[in-house]
Amino acid sequence: MSALLQVENVTMRFGGLVALNNVSFSVARGGVLAIIGPNGAGKSTLFNVITGVYRPTSGRVTFDGAEITGRPSYQVVQRGIARTFQSSRLFSDLSVLDNVIIGMHTRTKTGVLGALFAPAASRREMAACVDRAEALLKLGSGDLFEQRYRLAGTLAQADRRRLEIARALASQPKLLLLDEPSVGMDETETDALIADIVRLRATDPNLSVILIEHDMRVVEAFPGHVMCIDYGSRIAEGDFAAVRADPHVQEAYLGKAAAHA
Amino acid sequence: MTELLVQQLVNWITLGCIYALLAIGFSLIFGVLNVIHFSHGDVAMTAPFITLALAQALATALGASGTIWLLAAAPLAVLAVGLIGVLLDRLVIRRFRDAPAMMALVATVALGIVIRELIRHVYPQGSNPHAFPRLVSGMAFEIVGVPVSWFALLVVFLTVALVAALFFFLRMTPLGLRIRAASEDRVVARMMGIHDSRVFRATFFIASAIGAIAGLLFASYAGVTRFDFGVMAGLLGFSAAVIGGLGSMPGAILGGLIIAGIEVLSQTFVPDGASYRLVFVFLLVIGVLVFRPAGLLGRAVMEKV
Amino acid sequence: MTMSVSSPTPGKGAAGLFTVVSQLCGAAYLYLLLKAAEAWQVVALLALLGLGFYLLEKRASISDYALDSFARVPVLAVATAAIIVLAFPFVVGSNTYILHLLIVAQLYSVLALALNFQLGSANIPNFATGASYGIGAYVSALLAINFGLSFWLTLPIAALAATLFGFIIGIPSMRARDTYLALVTIAFGVVVQQLLNNFTWTGGPNGLVGIPAPSLFGHSFADPLFVFGWKLPSQANFYYLAAALVVVAIVTAHRLHGSRIGLAWNALRADEIAAKAQGINVAWFKVLAFAVDAFLAAFAGTIYAFYVSYISPDNFTFLVSVTIMTMVIVGGMDNIFGVIAGAFLLTILPEKLRAFEDYRLLVFGVVIIGFLMIRPQGLFPQRMRRYGGKP
Repeated sequence: MSALLQVENVTMRFGGLVALNNVSFSVARGGVLAIIGPNGAGKSTLFNVITGVYRPTSGRVTFDGAEITGRPSYQVVQRGIARTFQSSRLFSDLSVLDNVIIGMHTRTKTGVLGALFAPAASRREMAACVDRAEALLKLGSGDLFEQRYRLAGTLAQADRRRLEIARALASQPKLLLLDEPSVGMDETETDALIADIVRLRATDPNLSVILIEHDMRVVEAFPGHVMCIDYGSRIAEGDFAAVRADPHVQEAYLGKAAAHA
Repeated sequence: MTELLVQQLVNWITLGCIYALLAIGFSLIFGVLNVIHFSHGDVAMTAPFITLALAQALATALGASGTIWLLAAAPLAVLAVGLIGVLLDRLVIRRFRDAPAMMALVATVALGIVIRELIRHVYPQGSNPHAFPRLVSGMAFEIVGVPVSWFALLVVFLTVALVAALFFFLRMTPLGLRIRAASEDRVVARMMGIHDSRVFRATFFIASAIGAIAGLLFASYAGVTRFDFGVMAGLLGFSAAVIGGLGSMPGAILGGLIIAGIEVLSQTFVPDGASYRLVFVFLLVIGVLVFRPAGLLGRAVMEKV
Repeated sequence: MTMSVSSPTPGKGAAGLFTVVSQLCGAAYLYLLLKAAEAWQVVALLALLGLGFYLLEKRASISDYALDSFARVPVLAVATAAIIVLAFPFVVGSNTYILHLLIVAQLYSVLALALNFQLGSANIPNFATGASYGIGAYVSALLAINFGLSFWLTLPIAALAATLFGFIIGIPSMRARDTYLALVTIAFGVVVQQLLNNFTWTGGPNGLVGIPAPSLFGHSFADPLFVFGWKLPSQANFYYLAAALVVVAIVTAHRLHGSRIGLAWNALRADEIAAKAQGINVAWFKVLAFAVDAFLAAFAGTIYAFYVSYISPDNFTFLVSVTIMTMVIVGGMDNIFGVIAGAFLLTILPEKLRAFEDYRLLVFGVVIIGFLMIRPQGLFPQRMRRYGGKP
């Protein structure tokens, strides 16, 4: 089976700073990749390169058979990649429900002329969006559905993360990029998050997920394919056990002395 | 032909310096406070009015008249405008420091309107233009037969002196260092113990004072002053700052020279150019912003995603 | 915005009564305000308005009740509004000054609604909205004077011309942000105004005179209007025309706001990067906002030109753009009713405070600053979209 996402020799430079150094990996259809690494290692930058926020200095990104290197974000989303942000970027002054509906932007098509001259069709499309959004909100852990008419900016931290995921799912992506989804969650909430992701994959086996995580409990739940990045370079890749035992990984997290202790 | 060129060159440098001084004020405030002080031009143009009023008062009180009182009143006016700038910050602008950019923008546009109207109502016969004499008159010397006035020399001298002083201040003095730190990252600067309000007060005072000098030179150059000169002066100064790159001192100077250059060029070489000079200037502004949205020497702010 | 506590949904009868009574009260208030001649009367009415606001602030349930009532009996609400609007000139009688004020207020409402797409929905500064207004006016006037085109023909052409201009201004908006964008729009505004001032074929600083009055089915708008035996002054023609345009503007605003487009604008207002991450082509939507604004503004400009039959570059200055912007800010960003209220208030009040004519601009400036400091969301803040559900 050909890979859904192929990242080849991607390097990202910001002036003199090398944020990503010759990173290569691939994700299969229906696969889960967990990316770990110390803070500032370049993990979010990787997401930004894949989703078109940054154009890589060199290298290629291929998705679903087509090259998407440097394509603008909104086109990348249209092709089926959705993402969440490390610090939730919700639309704070809009309702929870509206946030999810906006996530459906690429799956709807009413334009200006349609909205003005075919209002019935526009309303119908919007009503369908509302139904789907409400269904999505009901699916996840937490009580986002009950809070659907709250301003997104007033949500508790765990709910913000959940809303980000719901919004990302609204576009019916083939590849879901989650940037530290468990930030700010306690144990119970993290378990619920893991359950959510497991259920997602059960409902849609073709959905691929890339996960940036610091919480090893989450990584442990998806131990099949793990990659460690430090200083922009890939320093280890394999299953969870192998990566964890890798001395380079230990050095990156714990320092030289501890690694060789 | 050479005479014409040299004459225009002198005009260009003179006007360019004046715009540069205005632009520096805008850039300084933006660089430190991240606020576009749209009313800076109007604040600057209060200086000629204050000078006239003070000179009049001095003449009435101490007899005699003439430029001597004007020259005495000018530095006082500069000081006064510096303080006015600080006052405006305390009263109005401060509230919008953390507000969305749009709000601060509209608020300072409104502030400009208020300042203009206050000048118009407070100054006797404010709606009419008032003559503003050259601060120094007479010709200094000639280049290829073209007379260069003392005034032009004064403008250049003042500009160079002020820029040098500002540069020295920002680089070498503790307060200057704090101002630069605050302009890099206000939040971190505050955490380092850099006293917000002192830095801001100093910034506003310096920017407004420099603006006042620019305003005086502008009125002197035009020979007249009017309550609404602040609109054009502000727009041109702001455009110069933006073209050069907001927050960059060299950019402000560059922008000032560019805008002055366009004005002088269009007036000289385009038939009926005087009425189109603004069109050319602003078309250039649009052009620069389309291709270099952060200005020519500006640093593009990278947002962390 | 507070989360609303479930307030009782009004029954149909109560809703109907409330809808009709509240609209009649509003109409009466407007009438009194228009007729007020003495300063004390104006102050009293303003105090009443202030009191009303205070009450609304204290009890959010009042505005919820009001909106629920209107939603319960939509047909009755619209019918009442229609009757009031149609009947107003009959009540006003031959007071052409009041009719004039109403026409100007309506045109400004359209301009404010147009600007609201950019300012309210998408938070894009546009100081050139006066220029779009002016282009609409000039194009239609020139077509009518030089080529004898009828008003109705010039309308779409002027709208197209202004929309093209809107697209042109929109292009820099794709890359520029906030302050830089504001400067670009100011620059455009100045350029347009200067060009109108300098070109001889636009009449230069003296502008264009002698724009012929429109006519419909043989009835010229310069003639008084005869309805059911009543004689209304000729202004009434333009009053109804402007009212029709306001209806068009409201429908446009409402449909766009509640659609995928309105949501996209709100998204890019909140967070551009996140908006792009949802697949929104932010650059296109920004340009779209400029184009829609210009389109509607041109209609208002055309009607204005044919109404006063004389236009000059002074009618479309930077200050006009600032005025329209104030109406949106004071009235309420992204709130259709608020924007219209802002437009009416800021058109009528300066006229009423004629005694302070000279201080008008000063008061304007102070009011803007005051509002931005104390109540930046405007008199009527934006409302959350409800899709038939109440939590």
